[in-house]
Amino acid sequence: MKINILIAGILLSATALFSQVTKPIELPYVEYPIEAGDHDEVVQQYCLTCHSFGYMLNQGKKSRPYWTGTVAKMVNEFKAPIPKEDQQIIINYFVKHYGYESNTGH
Amino acid sequence: MDKFSRRNFLGAGLIFGASTLFAKEAAKTVATETKAFVPPMIAFPEKKPMKTISDRPPLLESSRDIFTQAITPNDQFFVRWHMPDIPTYIDLNTFRLEVKGSVANALSLSIDDLKSKFEPVEITSVLQCGGNSRKFFSEKTGQATHGVQWGHGAMGCAVWKGARLKDILNMAGVNATAKYVGVNGLEKPAIDETPHFFREMGIDEALTDELIVAYEMNGQDIPYLNGFPLKLIIPGHFSDSWVKMLSEITVMDEYRKTFFMDVAYTVPDNDCECVISGGDFEYKRKPIAQMKVKSVIGYPAPNSVIKKGSRINVTGVAFDQGKGIKEVMISLDGGKSWSSTNLQKDYGKYAYRQWSFSWEPKIKGEYSIMVRAINRIGNIQPLPGDIGWNAGGYQYNAVDVVNVKIV
Repeated sequence: MKINILIAGILLSATALFSQVTKPIELPYVEYPIEAGDHDEVVQQYCLTCHSFGYMLNQGKKSRPYWTGTVAKMVNEFKAPIPKEDQQIIINYFVKHYGYESNTGH
Repeated sequence: MDKFSRRNFLGAGLIFGASTLFAKEAAKTVATETKAFVPPMIAFPEKKPMKTISDRPPLLESSRDIFTQAITPNDQFFVRWHMPDIPTYIDLNTFRLEVKGSVANALSLSIDDLKSKFEPVEITSVLQCGGNSRKFFSEKTGQATHGVQWGHGAMGCAVWKGARLKDILNMAGVNATAKYVGVNGLEKPAIDETPHFFREMGIDEALTDELIVAYEMNGQDIPYLNGFPLKLIIPGHFSDSWVKMLSEITVMDEYRKTFFMDVAYTVPDNDCECVISGGDFEYKRKPIAQMKVKSVIGYPAPNSVIKKGSRINVTGVAFDQGKGIKEVMISLDGGKSWSSTNLQKDYGKYAYRQWSFSWEPKIKGEYSIMVRAINRIGNIQPLPGDIGWNAGGYQYNAVDVVNVKIV
């Protein structure tokens, strides 16, 4: 199998550059820092199913309405299977560690 | 499925004070009290170290100095995937592009078919994420936006080579009843219920000359993370529909409602494509499409310290939706007076137009360098205080500002 792939690659190189990916690529794993406590294990269990923690760190500190909206988006639009009580745990975690209490939206 | 709970989309997050949008006073509450998170610089396959906002899905941002070149090298070109499940290997012996749906003859094309059975065409075009420069919305308007908080580095310009989408569709024979073309690639969500990344366009647009199914980028195979082996190229348009690892083209008689067309990548359907009052999703939606005139500064870097009397070559790139850049103006006094810059080589109307300006600062102090592009139909970049806000943070194109210190 490997040999066939190599041959195919060589044949292609007659008309184009050699395929740059001739074997499975390995994507780096990045260990983004995650604040511990307040049920971070619940946060990790659900959020990290679909995306890295970099997504949240990149947002900067955000308000409670912001994090509430974001969790709602994950559940309603991306269909994340997060039970109601765990949604609240996740929101509280982000407001405490990556946000602030506010009703004004930002 | 007809009714989206749009009012609930993003929930309360969206219902914030859009009425303050045009208030000119400086934002009192900074929208992102950023907890100084600096993405690590990591080299992914076929890439130089890049700002790694996320590893899964990969989100890699180019550094600002990339804008000192009109053509972006493949190994520094930004990366943005939507779904976490991306194949780690593409076997070209078995990979096929399927063309199906409302056509006379469904096609199953190998890369070799695409290279040998269709006329190869090349186009130099900017590829820009709809959310590029999003972080500046909160910095300049004081209002938060949802989505990846990109700097300017979610864009690049490359020479794309491939087969015309039109030629492929004509080989398949589009039915007279066909109205839309759907495109998707091989990326998949982690859970089945998550909407797949599926994009649509009108049949008329799909049959224009300029859309190509590319198999080469800057004379090489498309890098794996930029969509090897095939990527759809839509010159002049934001990159939402420039599908990576393109695997299926579905011709359709009817529009298919999807999250990625009808909710994500949409803006208010009004003249400014922005929120004037109320919440964003109270407006009728419109998908973002044509890019807006924009210029960015590649050199010098923000907060540079420059010796008085040095001659420096201020440079950067400008582009628009494909009308062509007419002029890029520069201000060194915070926007009080403007001068022309020199436009460099013209790589075509969809490409970056590099501009440069020779500057020899003679007085010590703090300077704000600003650049402002205007295109051939008179579209001009708004000043940062004038840009219209939208909750998704799309289409940011305000005048770029770089502060430097002359000592």
